[in-house]
Amino acid sequence: MVKKPVKITREAPAKREPESRPRKAEAPAVAANAAARPAVIVVGADKGGVGKTTIARAILDFLSLNDIHTRAFDTETPRGTLHRFHPDETMIVDLTEPSDQMKIIDTLNTSQAKVSVIDVRAGGLSPALGALDEIGFFDAVKGGEFRFVLLHVIGPSIASLEEIAEIAPYVADANYFMVKNHVNDTTFFEWDPQTHAKYFEHVVTSGEITIPKLSELAYEQVELSGTPFSTFIGNQDAQGRPAEHSFVLRGYVRTWLARVADEFERVGLLDLVGDKRR
Amino acid sequence: MAPRTLAFFVCSPHSRTGVTTAARLLTDYYLSRNVDVEGFDTDFREPLYAVFFPEATRIVDVSEIKGQISLFDRLLVADETPKIVDVWHRSYERLFATIAEIGFLEEARRRGVEPIVLFQTDVTESAANSALVLKTTWPDLMMNVIHNRGASPLGADSLAILARYPASGKFVIPSLEAPIARALNDVDLSLSRFMREPPAGMSLVVRAALKAWLSPIFTQFQSFELRLELQSSEWLR
Repeated sequence: MVKKPVKITREAPAKREPESRPRKAEAPAVAANAAARPAVIVVGADKGGVGKTTIARAILDFLSLNDIHTRAFDTETPRGTLHRFHPDETMIVDLTEPSDQMKIIDTLNTSQAKVSVIDVRAGGLSPALGALDEIGFFDAVKGGEFRFVLLHVIGPSIASLEEIAEIAPYVADANYFMVKNHVNDTTFFEWDPQTHAKYFEHVVTSGEITIPKLSELAYEQVELSGTPFSTFIGNQDAQGRPAEHSFVLRGYVRTWLARVADEFERVGLLDLVGDKRR
Repeated sequence: MAPRTLAFFVCSPHSRTGVTTAARLLTDYYLSRNVDVEGFDTDFREPLYAVFFPEATRIVDVSEIKGQISLFDRLLVADETPKIVDVWHRSYERLFATIAEIGFLEEARRRGVEPIVLFQTDVTESAANSALVLKTTWPDLMMNVIHNRGASPLGADSLAILARYPASGKFVIPSLEAPIARALNDVDLSLSRFMREPPAGMSLVVRAALKAWLSPIFTQFQSFELRLELQSSEWLR
């Protein structure tokens, strides 16, 4: 059977209700003034090589395609992989340095960008959340001053489940999503239900996001081009000049990005960080 | 009138229906009119179509991304050179799945390339269903059927069987007597050169039979080409 063609010319996405989030119901201050409050999306994992920056890049493309003004912070100092792909909106920071914490948190209300994406370097998620806790960020979230979304990119190993226990204290008032990243063909085994339950007894997630596989060659070509996914699809180079990327590879990337966007929409990411009047 | 570059997909989901013969005939039709053609043989194991036109064809494996790039990126070049793809039955599913996944048809039209499916008929219901799936998936896709009476005879129910196909036109390739058909297997026999100047050493009987077989086929291709030109003429709208 021939596959149905994938919708590639995307219209403005229909608004959907986010999946049921038990913890959201316990945060009454959150709903009232959501549209005006700045949002922080943290993308991280304590394990390396699970594709955090790929997810952060996909989010930046997704929000940009939905006309949501976004800025990004790359904590991979000094190299800054996210910065390489999105140099205009990304600042490289060290989350453990007070001066850099001020650049992020103290400007949340004054920045024109109402969404800030923080790409946390490998192994830095727990320390980053600890640092945010120390400066009172989570109290501000609880108080309804900011919105907070955590995308926890997990690997297929049991070590990823152990990470969940470590970050549990920080996610009580967050929209906490587990992200299974298949972009590099990672296969996830089904965890034993008892083992799974043991790790989730102290944390409630808002849902699970699955990032589909992208052909290695297509992924590699985007890496080489050093551009956002959407720029590669538009056949432009990093300077905005016409490029000569293969249509086949652009087609694969376009379809992949559309599927990723479907996942973000499914879990209601736009409603969580965007202007609800949109 | 904006010139269009034609990209033919000669295909069937089943083997031994005459796909390569049809691709060969179409290629020779263009060559007989001194029109350059680019061919693509998707049977990378036994690329018979490529053997007939070694200078004008490339062999592609559409199960590999590199093969897909060789094929589709080239098909999208609107240079007015007709492109002909001999779709191996084992490549059929993957080829159309890739077309769907990368949005090839939409991009082709945007660039002035007209994809045309030449669907090889056979007696099975599944073949007609496969054609229906293509047409349902892409309602604007131009599709003609090819009824090869020698390779894939439809028998007494031919009219009913052909009616199952959602095609806008039909080509008929008549059957050939076995000795004449054997002459076709000679990889050195160029049908386009044959139409201009038959080989001196060829039997008079074979020569006459081949010519009688080829002429109506080439006439059908010519009529099809003229119809396409008329359809796209802005003066006739």
